[in-house]
Amino acid sequence: MHRYLYGRLGQALLVLWAAFTLSFFLLQVLPGDAILIKFQNPDMGLSPAQIADMRAVYGADAPLWRQYLHTLVDFIRGDFGYSVQTGVPVAQLLTTNLPPTLRLAVCGFLLAAILAGGMALLAGLTSVRWLRGIWHALPSMFISVPTFWLGIVLIQVFSFRLKWVPVINPGEWAGLILPILTLAVPICAPLAQILIRSIDEVQTLPFVAVARAKGASRAGVLWRHVARNAVLPALTIAGLLFGELIAGALITETVFGLSGLGQLTQQAVNNQDVAVLQAIVVISATAFVVINLLVDLLYPLLDPRLKMPAGAAL
Amino acid sequence: MKRPGRGKRAGKGGTLIYLEQQAHTNLYPPAGGFYPNGGILNQITDKLTYQNPKTLAIEPWIAESWTSNDDKTQYTFKIRPGVTFSDGKPLDAAAVAKNFDTFGLGNKQLHLPVSEVINNYDHSEVIDPLTVKFYFKKSSPGFLQGTSTIGSGLVSPATLAQNFDALGDARHIIGSGPFVVSNETLGREVDLRVRDDYRWGPKTLAQQGRANLDGIKFIITPEDSVRIGALLAGQADFIRQVQAYDEKQAEGQHFIIYAAPTRGVNDGISFRPENPLVADVRVRQALLHATDAGQIVNTLFSPHYPRATSVIAAPAAGYINLADKLTYDPQLAAQLLDQAGWKPGTDGIRQKEGHSLVLSVYESPPQPQNKEVLQLVSQQWSKVGARLNILAGDAGSKTADSLDPLKTPANVVEVGRADPDVIKSQFYPTNRDALLQKGGLSSKVQNFSDDKLNSLLVAISAEVDGQKRLALAGEAQKYLLDQAYVIPIFEEPQVFAGAPYLKGVSFEAVGRPAFYGAWLDKH
Repeated sequence: MHRYLYGRLGQALLVLWAAFTLSFFLLQVLPGDAILIKFQNPDMGLSPAQIADMRAVYGADAPLWRQYLHTLVDFIRGDFGYSVQTGVPVAQLLTTNLPPTLRLAVCGFLLAAILAGGMALLAGLTSVRWLRGIWHALPSMFISVPTFWLGIVLIQVFSFRLKWVPVINPGEWAGLILPILTLAVPICAPLAQILIRSIDEVQTLPFVAVARAKGASRAGVLWRHVARNAVLPALTIAGLLFGELIAGALITETVFGLSGLGQLTQQAVNNQDVAVLQAIVVISATAFVVINLLVDLLYPLLDPRLKMPAGAAL
Repeated sequence: MKRPGRGKRAGKGGTLIYLEQQAHTNLYPPAGGFYPNGGILNQITDKLTYQNPKTLAIEPWIAESWTSNDDKTQYTFKIRPGVTFSDGKPLDAAAVAKNFDTFGLGNKQLHLPVSEVINNYDHSEVIDPLTVKFYFKKSSPGFLQGTSTIGSGLVSPATLAQNFDALGDARHIIGSGPFVVSNETLGREVDLRVRDDYRWGPKTLAQQGRANLDGIKFIITPEDSVRIGALLAGQADFIRQVQAYDEKQAEGQHFIIYAAPTRGVNDGISFRPENPLVADVRVRQALLHATDAGQIVNTLFSPHYPRATSVIAAPAAGYINLADKLTYDPQLAAQLLDQAGWKPGTDGIRQKEGHSLVLSVYESPPQPQNKEVLQLVSQQWSKVGARLNILAGDAGSKTADSLDPLKTPANVVEVGRADPDVIKSQFYPTNRDALLQKGGLSSKVQNFSDDKLNSLLVAISAEVDGQKRLALAGEAQKYLLDQAYVIPIFEEPQVFAGAPYLKGVSFEAVGRPAFYGAWLDKH
């Protein structure tokens, strides 16, 4: 188990370094740069000579390899540098924007899991054919709902018309209700689909028929035998949905005017704020690696057959 | 809906909720041209002089009086006594000198750039604690008006001692205005608190002493429909950037639409004659006459967006009506293109020497419905055999490509300033350089420059005689349209909407709101 962990950790570091390096060079290839974008702004009315001065002052003309090494060493030391656009240390931007996004993402994901589980159980329990059909169709409908549109509809209905929750200046948690819902709907859909399908598949397996024959109820079989087996594929997908979660958070944050990583990313992309993007890429890669590691470690707990023999190298 | 701080002082006071479309960028006062910046700076900084938004006359404010020599190379200002910045430092002659030395010359060490409204600045001299004198290398007749603009907001010496980068944080901008920044969540919210000891607003205003409101909360709400919806639902009191199609709904519910004119270069399209497609004046004229500004205004906008009748807006200083040069005349356009040798091709697009008459332009998101405007222009041009390709692109590609006349033969223009200098700001090579001239912003331009235009523009910025200066502004407008360097489309307002119970909002000369005299009535 230890060797397995170390191996995975080494892999994770490699992934992080690759993500850092790849993003660094990809960002350099883009036309223009943050300093050009910031100072070429006509509202500043700067002459080319003045802009050239600014470039020199910011060290933007140093050779690429030196900039790369410099940035890498700083990152390893935990120094994410300055955002050119806002003039604030990246670490400060992250401490203000990371917690709200984490809260939104975790709550959105939990709600999505509950919704998906609910839909799957209902689909598994319902024996009326047309009703089952509805439960089966619901996830595909949810997938095709654009997050952007859903957010606006929820705001118009629940905030502006019914006046249940304010969107402007809401309380800390009240302001999260609609965004969480907006985020959860498109995330729950693929989860529910996988769950429903694997429940259907597991239910055709012989052991289910045996349990049934022994006189277990439909719900009993579903709960005790099927669910546990069906949850594994969903867990894999759940780990992969992290990327979806970040994209959804971006749109949700824009629609609701929330601060967060999504909104920060969008601004940084638009302004080619390299230091900020670099930090976001590394953080996202870290989160992705950690989540997938957790998922892998969870498998053996759910399915004892996957437990590794002691000392296995994998 | 209950909100903290609302309705505390019955009738007056309370905290105003202001929904802004975009987060502010750097708040160094000369960067105040960007509307989200100006909206904040206008509440927290005072200016040396006050430009009356109705008469455009320059009136006293922090300066009680001023004199200048005949050729406008020296200006002397008498400062009002007893004014302090919110950090307690006096706003005296030394502070004013420090402000304009920085705005006029920049500060390389601290990365602070030069202000675009101050031309030919040389140095300052503190005569006595309340008298300051400014010297210019050449005549600078626009300077007096320049001291009243948003970019000339006076800030504490402590602010000017900071690095440019630090001024992205609103809390670092220490002004002497009626409000003070009390809190900021970067990219999300800026909170202002009233300054109780404020008593130096412009003397000609009805409002005197402390502002009525207790505070202002700027909340960034990027989504158009959420801003207008929140206002109508009573969750906000004032919003910036209202789309023309939302105006009716708001007015129908007795909300107030404020369309403040920006009094500068009209929203339109300029050409980069370095590009061979538009190097021929006949082609530019043809495209000008192929553009139906009336249709654009009627289709996309409301009566708050007047159709352009010159390069600058009708309420701008020095405006002359040149509507007869801006006629929509597709037949004339076709003739001009024939004469210029552009023959209709098989796909309806005109051809000449193997090239198609297809121009590209980057949309400009700050301009109202810019994409829709450009799409309509493209449709109109296609009737005479030309096409406009509208590019979106990220800020990086846009900034880089916009400097290359071969990639972007056309460009969206617009700038507000209530002084004839605004024409120079937009077109002069070392200012915004809308036409991209040799020696201007772009190193990619090899040939194009227009000496006649440039000497006219320099003359506007240096002519001491007020009447002659306006005449020069008129000549520049005529010349720009005769050369068809620019196609003016509409006079761009800044459109805001406010709740019916919000009273006393005013606007400075180019459309930034001022909440000094505002209050939230009982509701």
